[in-house]
Amino acid sequence: MELNIHFDDSWIETFLHKLEQDGPWSNWNLYNLALEAEKNLIIPDFHGLQAPKFLPELKPLPHQIETAQRVIENMNGKAILADEVGLGKTIEAGLILKEYMIRGLVKKVLILVPASLVSQWVWELNSKFHIPAIGYRKNYSWEHTDVMVTSIDTAKRSPHKETILELDYDFVIIDEAHKLKNHKTRNYEFAQNLKKKFCLLLTATPIQNRIEEIFNLVSLLKPGHLGTYKEFLEKYKNKHSVDDKHLKELINKVMIRNRRQDTKIEWTKRKVETILIDLSKEERELYDAITKFKQEHNEILNNAFSILTLQREACSSKEAIFVTLKNMLDKAENPSKNFQQFIQSMMELIQKIQVNSKAEKALELIQSINDKVIIFTEYRATQLYLQWYLKQHGISSVPFRGGFRRGKKDWMKELFQNHAQVFIATEAGGEGINLQFCNHMINFDLPWNPMRLEQRIGRIHRLGQEKDVRIYNFATKNTVEEHILKLLYEKINLFERVIGELDEILTKLEFGKLEDHLIDIFTTSETEGEMKIKMENLTAMIELAESIKEDGNYATAGNSQLS
Amino acid sequence: MQQQEIHSYLKNFFTTNNCIIEQDNGKYMTVQLTIEMDKLLMNRPFYWHYIEKIGAEPNPQKITFITDFNELGKTKGELIHFGSPRLHQIFNVIKKQGGFIRLFENKSGSPNLNVPLYPWLCLNVKISYICDHRKDRLQSYGVNLMNGTIIYDFHDQLFTNQIHLVAKMPDFAFTFTPLIKPQSGIRRIKQLIENEIATDDHTWAEDAKKRWAEDAKLLDAFFEDEEERPERYYIEKEALKNQYEPKIHVSIINGGIFYLTQHSLIKK
Repeated sequence: MELNIHFDDSWIETFLHKLEQDGPWSNWNLYNLALEAEKNLIIPDFHGLQAPKFLPELKPLPHQIETAQRVIENMNGKAILADEVGLGKTIEAGLILKEYMIRGLVKKVLILVPASLVSQWVWELNSKFHIPAIGYRKNYSWEHTDVMVTSIDTAKRSPHKETILELDYDFVIIDEAHKLKNHKTRNYEFAQNLKKKFCLLLTATPIQNRIEEIFNLVSLLKPGHLGTYKEFLEKYKNKHSVDDKHLKELINKVMIRNRRQDTKIEWTKRKVETILIDLSKEERELYDAITKFKQEHNEILNNAFSILTLQREACSSKEAIFVTLKNMLDKAENPSKNFQQFIQSMMELIQKIQVNSKAEKALELIQSINDKVIIFTEYRATQLYLQWYLKQHGISSVPFRGGFRRGKKDWMKELFQNHAQVFIATEAGGEGINLQFCNHMINFDLPWNPMRLEQRIGRIHRLGQEKDVRIYNFATKNTVEEHILKLLYEKINLFERVIGELDEILTKLEFGKLEDHLIDIFTTSETEGEMKIKMENLTAMIELAESIKEDGNYATAGNSQLS
Repeated sequence: MQQQEIHSYLKNFFTTNNCIIEQDNGKYMTVQLTIEMDKLLMNRPFYWHYIEKIGAEPNPQKITFITDFNELGKTKGELIHFGSPRLHQIFNVIKKQGGFIRLFENKSGSPNLNVPLYPWLCLNVKISYICDHRKDRLQSYGVNLMNGTIIYDFHDQLFTNQIHLVAKMPDFAFTFTPLIKPQSGIRRIKQLIENEIATDDHTWAEDAKKRWAEDAKLLDAFFEDEEERPERYYIEKEALKNQYEPKIHVSIINGGIFYLTQHSLIKK
């Protein structure tokens, strides 16, 4: 066989020069030490992992080692890592990257992660893996940094984009890769055009809604593995899950999905408590006024969705609804008299409200817990209010949200860990921060996408959590919140589920996005009764999907959690 | 490399580089660096630039290296283990320091009978088999520059034959001028390596080519329908080549000239 042999002649030139000059020559001792160093650094075998030998402090878990080895040996270094939330995808990716770097097969690396996770990745790679990763900052050079971590939003912007697409990367890692499920987006196009030898896509939810999503992810990694787009659609278009045996096999060649129950790790328990709260008389009046308005004057707002938003905000805080109303008024061009009147009457009702019933309950709870607590809210105005309110009662808290710069986020987390009792986060801030030193979480208001709730809980219920996790879900009685909580979350046992199980069930549903259905139910139902019936139907569908699941793959697994 | 090996390795390295080991209990050691070592290891060019510019008294640092994991937290210092950046930094310094050698076998003759020393060229070579995986092999070649004899484990032979080597020509000894020039010696070893590789087992390379061909086939099919293949096709194609193409890389770790007595390398 013809093989390409390359001799590195750099040593020879220096040697001949030294011969001519008669030295200087090395010390015999150092000469031997140099050879000994090299003996220890050689890769003795094509197979196996060298990385653990280099990382005696890391102590990876068995499923993480196994995953790294499979990706390198059976998947040729191109894989979707789709472990359930909290099983350590970052550790797996770090192990794989380290192994390739030790083997000298990878030098130039690009790691694309959500902006909020950049500093975390940099820190983990440096401290746990001794990989000199650097987070992108202004004026850093893409050409001269070997291991760069940045957000896809930064990378795809000019002039970075042009520079990056010119470079030959040995290894590209994309975290939260489900954001690349749509092949028509600029993000996808950018990822597609990266020059890369090896590639990892990390996501806990490889399929969220449509089966094409998995096609798009796989085609980024290994174009042609699932055929062409056209062929794929012809074969699988009407399926919403990967039940097809052949397709499953193909996907398993490029995807690894470890589940909690497979890992043999002892997980701490998750205890969920629903706390129903009575609105005060004034709060009730505001809420009812909105509801009444919906029935009478829906046309004014010409967007039923706005009403729903107002209702949900009214359940959170008067501050939240105030901000929205004010924005509506500011934005409206030539507001009609009716509209102005509506805003005016709402504002009057808001002003009458003296107490926030939910906040009072939260305070009481925090005082009785007497330990660190995380509060999640959907609204920034509520976040600010809560911080002020807690401070009035001598409780220190730190706010956290998506817009914070990296350094500030790290600092806030640090403050919470060492100085403050409460951490108040908005939804966007929740992604990717790990707070397993805390085991109490209050969901001040509930997100409508159950995946996002999983993400929230995943912040504290993950590897490294030593105590049982306690989740308190707040819902105001006789409001849209209670419907969501009672009819949906509780009925499908969302909280008792094993993480990641729900996404599988939801993908089995033949009707697309759950969130869209909820919005539809709440905005189009004429009466309370109609809404209840629709909700019943929805939960019945979910239960059906679940029973399909139980009868199928998992019939033998004896799912005690599902009962 | 076990922690104990690392410990003695470091001690050897620093002592050889004239650093004083101020404390050593087998679990950790404190080393007073010399100015030269400080410059090589401590990564503080501005400090040295400043000191030299104003002519101040230089103050090279002291470091404590911990090699016993149980000492962590008890002793203030740097934990050093295989894979820690510090050890690899030291490896790199050593590789530069220990690259080129010329030594003489320490056999003195007498005024009447001078000992003849024969020149050998030694190359310690790393041969790397690279595709999407990798494997290395070390080989120590020695060529007798008088008669062309080649030895395949030259470095080990020096030890098994217990040859005492010194940096200066011993008294009453003389060296032969090589009949074979060192350049030719190097060429001969290269030729030898090529011949060895040609008769090697190439299964690894064939397997890599198979994997390459499989992916290339999928890629071709993926873009089959398009009349003109987009740039992305060529990018992916090139990336597959970079990923899988089997190649062999040969580099010299260190080596040099050894002047030895005539029969010193006959195995005992």
